[in-house]
Amino acid sequence: MTTDLNPAPAAPPGAQARVPLGQRMAGLGGNARQYGIFGALVVIVLLFQVLTDGKLLLANNVAALFQQNAYVMILAIGMVMVIVAGHIDLSVGSVVAFVGGIVAVSMRDMGLPWLVAVLLGLAVGGVVGAWQGYWVAYVGIPAFIVTLAGMLIFRGLALVIVGETVAGLPSQFIAISKGSLPNFLGYANNMDVVTILIGVLAIGAIVVSQVRARRSLRKHELYVEPVGLFATKLALVAIGIGVLTVILSFSAGGTPTVLVIVGVLIVAYTFLMGRTVFGRHIYAIGGNRLAASLSGVDTRRVDFWIFVNMGVLAGAAAIVTTARAGAAIASAGQNFELDAIAACFIGGAAVTGGIGRISGAIVGALIMGVLNMGLSILSVDPSWQMAIKGLVLLFAVAFDLINKRRAGTR
Amino acid sequence: MSTANDVPLLSLRGLGKRFGAVEALVDVDLDVYAHEVVALVGDNGAGKSTVAKMISGVLTPDTGLIEIDGETVTIPTPIAAHALGIATVFQELALADNLDVTSNLFLGRELHRGRVRDDETMEQIARKVLRDLNSRIPSVKSPLSTLSKGQRQSVAIARTLIGRPRIVVLDEPTAALSVSQTAEVLTHIERLRDLGLGVVLISHNMNDVRAVSDRIIVLRHGRNNGEFDAATVSHEAILAAITGAPPTRELDPTAFLPTPH
Ligand SMILES: Nc1ncnc2c1ncn2[C@@H]1O[C@H](COP(=O)(O)OP(=O)(O)O)[C@@H](O)[C@H]1O
Ligand SMILES: [Mg+2]
Repeated sequence: MTTDLNPAPAAPPGAQARVPLGQRMAGLGGNARQYGIFGALVVIVLLFQVLTDGKLLLANNVAALFQQNAYVMILAIGMVMVIVAGHIDLSVGSVVAFVGGIVAVSMRDMGLPWLVAVLLGLAVGGVVGAWQGYWVAYVGIPAFIVTLAGMLIFRGLALVIVGETVAGLPSQFIAISKGSLPNFLGYANNMDVVTILIGVLAIGAIVVSQVRARRSLRKHELYVEPVGLFATKLALVAIGIGVLTVILSFSAGGTPTVLVIVGVLIVAYTFLMGRTVFGRHIYAIGGNRLAASLSGVDTRRVDFWIFVNMGVLAGAAAIVTTARAGAAIASAGQNFELDAIAACFIGGAAVTGGIGRISGAIVGALIMGVLNMGLSILSVDPSWQMAIKGLVLLFAVAFDLINKRRAGTR
Repeated sequence: MSTANDVPLLSLRGLGKRFGAVEALVDVDLDVYAHEVVALVGDNGAGKSTVAKMISGVLTPDTGLIEIDGETVTIPTPIAAHALGIATVFQELALADNLDVTSNLFLGRELHRGRVRDDETMEQIARKVLRDLNSRIPSVKSPLSTLSKGQRQSVAIARTLIGRPRIVVLDEPTAALSVSQTAEVLTHIERLRDLGLGVVLISHNMNDVRAVSDRIIVLRHGRNNGEFDAATVSHEAILAAITGAPPTRELDPTAFLPTPH
């Protein structure tokens, strides 16, 4: 869509129920890009649904999709924050192997209860993040270098800790990735009632929060999108979640536990990025680091905590990955950093920093996940799968860039 | 406009700053009173931005004192400057293109309840401030990347009004602007003075300086090199002080009023 970004005509800032047309189009352009990513996901899902003769959206495949890709989504949440701030983290794959090793060894050899081991894993992840954050934020070494070093350091340490595969982990630990929520409410028409309930609550929460946000915008005479567009958007989201809920409710276990974990993380981090001072400062640093620091933002502190956060989330990804494999291996997490980074860029993050959303990164991760699963069901050779994913990444970013150029924004 | 008997709002006493071998400032004095625009002029590299950065907590002086209301203060950070009622428009426009107008106005000093931003209140204040400045910004929600240079400069100036400052420092606010945009910024500056603030206007555009300032202070090679009454001084006298050439007195001898410190 071409938008006219010439300076909008003068309007008194007070009387602002109506926003000049150029402005409105520009705002829509930003959202259009966001809708585009969702649209791409839907198209890819439908495409593979047809190509696989309907196997892609079989209940158990959908549950597996989330179980297999939980790690990418968790990492992508942290990574999009790192990327928005103008950094990169190449070490997360190695950190997953390192933390996974520590968690597994602590349970098997030191007899730690699984819950304690989980907390230990998150804490170790945080310490790793603090280590890298220190070099980036307080010494001023580019994150590319610090995390490239971290990639080597933590892969090496993972090899030290996990000499050979550490298996025989407690079943409750393994259930984090392989288990589902207990369906204690039984079944209705073969559908897991717990899953249906969660789906209904999720739709309700989204509708209520969106309507409230809109009402508050109106109250303050700020621009709101036309009611038709708003309603259509909400309806599409509700239908999407509804379909997903119904499919999952037919799956063997109902709602996968990891889906709940990922869902909670998405909500929490969307809030952090969108509504808190810290989130605003992350965007400010990515947009103009000098401006942020001249304005009194403690850029070093923000950088530091972004990396601590990435470390904790890498710890969470390590737990999910180790639980799914049922064992720790030194080569775990290979290429995870690339998956997470690709998810962010497919999801609309800007290479230059300052732009990117949690929701975009999650959709990016899902696009990669659906590609993986669809191509696997079609028994496409893994080497070709890799090549195809590479092309998708390239085209997604190219498409985004061309759109932006045409829209006249930088 | 002279309130010479009062204590200055801001006063710099014998400021000095070195960057390695470069003596950026040597023994610089400057006073600013309320309801006054003081122009700080000088050639490129004269040390004007360095003065601005010391007032706004970005740099700390090696020697000398900064006084506010006659009391010595230290300004270690931009946050400290803000707390002292000092607001600055930096030469390298300190705005984030990816954020909207409100976010930029409150950058680094966001209002919040607990850990959650209070976006509604910030937007209301933003609208009021822009209205006070008669600014032509389409919406407080416009991303900065959609605004013209002049509109951005307006945002940068409006930014100074957040948190009720008493002293505003503007470093080359018209450098990159067209004639009409410049006029708009100069009007903003007059508004700041009318609001009772003390304004330091840094510029090397003589027309701008003479249009809005009350007093003109010249820096040359990091030192004070003359102070003039803007209403009476001649163009040539200022230029002479800036460049170090002897003033061409025959043009307007009475206009040259150096005030020794
Ligand atoms: N951060 C810095 N490091 C080294 N030298 C600097 C720095 N900032 C300014 N200078 C030097 O100090 C002198 C004064 O600079 P500045 O205050 O920017 O001048 P003006 O704003 O009047 O053009 C110049 O010689 C400049 O090169
Ligand atoms: Mg300068």
